[in-house]
Amino acid sequence: MTAEAIAARPVPTADWVTIEDLYRNPFPIYRKMRSEAPVHWVPAVNRYMVTSYQACHTVENNQEIFSADETNSLMKRAMGHSMLRKDDPEHDVDRKSYGSVLRPKAIKEHWNAIFQANHETYLARLKSAGPGADLIWEYAAPYAAENLRLVMGFHNATQEDMQRWSQTMINGTGNYADNPDVWAASEKSYNEVDDAIDEILPYLRKNPDSSLLSGMTSMPIPLEAIRANMKMTIGGGLNEPRDVLGVAVWALLSHPDQLAQVLADPALYPTVFEESVRWVAPIGMYPRETTRDTVLEGVQLPKGARLGVVVGAANRDPEVFEDPESFNINRPKKPHLAFGGGNHYCAGAWVAKASVSGIALPQLFAELPNLRLDPERPAVDAGWVFRGMTALPVRWDAK
Amino acid sequence: MAKVSFHHNDGNVDVLDVDPGTSLMRAAVTNGVAGIVGECGGQAMCATCHVYVRPEYLDGLPEISEDEEEMLECTADPRDEDRSRLGCQIKAGEGLDEIEVDVPASQI
Ligand code: HEM
Ligand code: FES
Repeated sequence: MTAEAIAARPVPTADWVTIEDLYRNPFPIYRKMRSEAPVHWVPAVNRYMVTSYQACHTVENNQEIFSADETNSLMKRAMGHSMLRKDDPEHDVDRKSYGSVLRPKAIKEHWNAIFQANHETYLARLKSAGPGADLIWEYAAPYAAENLRLVMGFHNATQEDMQRWSQTMINGTGNYADNPDVWAASEKSYNEVDDAIDEILPYLRKNPDSSLLSGMTSMPIPLEAIRANMKMTIGGGLNEPRDVLGVAVWALLSHPDQLAQVLADPALYPTVFEESVRWVAPIGMYPRETTRDTVLEGVQLPKGARLGVVVGAANRDPEVFEDPESFNINRPKKPHLAFGGGNHYCAGAWVAKASVSGIALPQLFAELPNLRLDPERPAVDAGWVFRGMTALPVRWDAK
Repeated sequence: MAKVSFHHNDGNVDVLDVDPGTSLMRAAVTNGVAGIVGECGGQAMCATCHVYVRPEYLDGLPEISEDEEEMLECTADPRDEDRSRLGCQIKAGEGLDEIEVDVPASQI
């Protein structure tokens, strides 16, 4: 045994944690866990939950010990074996197949104009729904879905298809209860996405554009990998921009001082974005698996341990962030873990920033005078593996 | 071994001996050098491994790829047309047995 292993302590159990409590509000639970140990065994979740910033960071940066290629992964069943469940060098081949599509130059040259047009479409929809409308369901969700549809190149689908595919397959990845209805809906979407890809690839070969699927037509990448990566990207590229948009609007509307500061200085919207994803990470937890016995921040873990990397907790670690539970755009800048880190660092980070803090947030606040929460119907935030606003009724004044 | 020196604004210097082929970003992150973040693990995606290479070492560097060029336009601290590089795209010991860089004040 190494000196490190001798000094290490056994992993504590957190048998008091329940899924219901996590779903409602995970943050007090994370606070308690983090103050006890950086890792716990959590029976209700059937995983070792990693909650300290340093421990999450260590896991993200060591794929030899902390593999993304999880055994019996529900994500593999729901979406196929995508890059997100591969380690390098296999992961790298898939990741390179995305080329430059999601990078800043392509965003400037192609996507910003499309995001702008989509913003105008769904802002008009929100306005016609009138004051009291739900900002998530009339604007943020269709805006994020339509952006992703075009970035991916699904010219034979609608934004409603994208939303249904995304939610039903995400439900599959979380179907630990093995509910047959959840599997049926998830499998239906799985097949629909495969059919849509089969149909659109020949079209894009003849009519190339700047999309991911168009790029795939000239990449040496097997169809099976394309299918899995597209499903994972539908699941990982829609709800997250929707949720950061909702949380950012909610946070500003609930913190009038900070809202006034941003309205006076629109250059602060990128800071609002970063603080919103730090404060409420849209992907709160993602899995890894140990490839051998190891010690993580002083805690012993066996080989084959199924980990939940809880970046939603790491982002509120008081060791790194002062007064971490507060939304504060004026806090000292520190790197958060909301986009993950290391080789699986979010491929869509620049797209998310461009569409949310480049276009949506500044224009929503400019176009909807005196935007405010609806005093009659409360906003609702919920979730832990994925967290965002499930309702955000808003009011504004006529222009 | 190759020698890498990270000069900080406060005058402190981190001097590392690393295996040839190790990127400056990886060397910094595994040795806890302050001011180098390296969020994307070296994929030229995040621009949080920005360094200013000291002039005497510029000639030994590999060319700037398209991806690196694009990211150098996204750095938190201003780009220096000659000296700015991504730490993840420079490998110690390849063309240079020794390299010295200045760490920018901010990466995010
Ligand atoms: C605020 C919005 C977003 C957040 C917070 C977010 C978060 C994340 C996180 C945490 C991961 C890593 C998960 C892991 O390591 O297991 C990830 C990976 C990924 N994300 Fe995002 N994401 C966002 C938006 C997007 C968008 C808009 C797209 C597509 C256009 C996208 C595409 C991807 C892809 C393809 C991966 C897999 C990368 C790989 O395995 O190498 N994401 N994202
Ligand atoms: S580590 Fe991300 S660009 Fe170098």
